[in-house]
Amino acid sequence: MTPQTGRSAGPGVPRGDLPHRAGATGWFDTRHRHLGDWAFVVNRLSGLGLVAYLYLHLVILSQLARGPEAWGGFLAIATSPPVLLFDVLLLAGLLAHAFNGIRVTLLGLGLVASRQKALWVALMGMAVLIALAGASRILGVTS
Amino acid sequence: MSAGVTAKRGQVAREPDAATRGARARGDVGWGWAAQAATGAVVLVLVAVHMVAQHFILPEGLRDYAQVEAWLRQPIVAAVETVFLASVTAHALLGVRAVLLDLGPSPRVERALTAGLGVIGVATVLYGLWLTAVVTGLA
Amino acid sequence: MATLLQTPRPGADADPAAPARTLRVRRHRRGDSAEGWDRYTAPVGPRTTVLDALTWVRAHLDASLNLRHSCLHASCGTCGMRVNGRDVLACVTRLEDLPPGEVSVEPLRNQPLVSDLVVDIESLYESLDGVRLPLVRTSEGAPGSTPAEGVGHLTRFEDCVECGLCVSACPIVASDPEYAGPAVLGAAWRLVAEPRDRDPEPAYALVDGEQGAWRCHLAFECNEVCPTDALPAEEIARLRGILLRHRVVRWLQRHARPEEVQP
Ligand code: SF4
Ligand code: FES
Repeated sequence: MTPQTGRSAGPGVPRGDLPHRAGATGWFDTRHRHLGDWAFVVNRLSGLGLVAYLYLHLVILSQLARGPEAWGGFLAIATSPPVLLFDVLLLAGLLAHAFNGIRVTLLGLGLVASRQKALWVALMGMAVLIALAGASRILGVTS
Repeated sequence: MSAGVTAKRGQVAREPDAATRGARARGDVGWGWAAQAATGAVVLVLVAVHMVAQHFILPEGLRDYAQVEAWLRQPIVAAVETVFLASVTAHALLGVRAVLLDLGPSPRVERALTAGLGVIGVATVLYGLWLTAVVTGLA
Repeated sequence: MATLLQTPRPGADADPAAPARTLRVRRHRRGDSAEGWDRYTAPVGPRTTVLDALTWVRAHLDASLNLRHSCLHASCGTCGMRVNGRDVLACVTRLEDLPPGEVSVEPLRNQPLVSDLVVDIESLYESLDGVRLPLVRTSEGAPGSTPAEGVGHLTRFEDCVECGLCVSACPIVASDPEYAGPAVLGAAWRLVAEPRDRDPEPAYALVDGEQGAWRCHLAFECNEVCPTDALPAEEIARLRGILLRHRVVRWLQRHARPEEVQP
């Protein structure tokens, strides 16, 4: 039996028996949550997406090992509109993750802890600006 | 199940010495986060370099096969790309590990997980080296 | 279980035109396979709190409804529950401040459920005991008082009422019960930042590990729900800064020649 501490409810008082946890779905449940949690969710989702892309990218690069024709085939696909749209999404995810990483690193070292919301808004603002510039270039709006 | 969890946390709380042992027994004193931050900083710089190198140097963007070959034959390029691959892979897999640790695996599962991700990481970098060797005609 | 009791006892709510609010309350009894909801309508006045309404329900409609409270003024930390999805102290949450319509009331998350709105906070108490905070005089935090030597500022973790709202709000405790959690880490920050002759080493050992401060992903939800000025998320962030410095110092002590370390 668990020995009792000074402030224990005392012997005979029932302990809880139902775990009552959200589990991993709680990570992405932003209902009633706030800006810091959004930062966490964006960072986790973009991170998992980027891991998937890293391996997709490495698999695609295997075309290089199959010679010039295979690589030329990939280049034709790579510049098609749907792939360019995907590139915009990829760039947005990369920027979101990179700028969230700056937040996590600063806060995680004990810096600017009391200004975390302003920090995140400022970093996301920069990320959005760069993403817009990148998107206009990728989609050829400007060149 | 929950009673077991409560008892475990209770023990940690009552006996700081036991807590010390528990923390050490997990074999991790938070190196994961430090490594994640360090690799993240390296990736932040190198991903920018990579993007500029792959998309901004040639007017037409991506390189054709001959251009890739010539590009990778420069030792400095091959070295930077290899460091980039190693740091980005480490950062990615450390991230996967951090996510999986949040699921509360047992110490045994956790060790297996760390080892497994380590193997995947090494294999990924070796694949990159092999690919570079093939393209540059070294293999 | 599915009782829908809306007829108050004579005298309790005689005026049908009197303002009333309907509470949708999560029910769970030991041995139940599933949880359910019950609806109760309680009379409300201008300052009626969620806890007032629930105790009224207990007295007049359904004595089987289990809840817990003590001080009624946000000091004891025992009336934590989720009202409209937010982790709050029910004794200081006024119904008039909530949007019109039904009010949902649920037990806190991430702590074992005992019954209805009562969760088992015992493990939080035990873990907090494990940190061994020294007792200090509350007057030290009075307006205009100067912080003691070595104390950066006067946001004190003594403000923590040990309500467990932060544990309920944390997305990481939700998936890993072994994680020390916000309140414990915040208390540990207090001890290592200001040891007051206590030995902080056990606290370092308790929190400088992967189940401790380094597990925090800085979602800051604990800060948002904390009903006091304890602000656990900020303290976790500061704690990590201290842990890092502590490690560097220890490393230097081990590797530098003694005369370089000793002043
Ligand atoms: S830190 Fe705040 S939310 Fe957490 S137990 Fe203490 S008072 Fe409650
Ligand atoms: S009853 Fe004491 S805090 Fe609400």
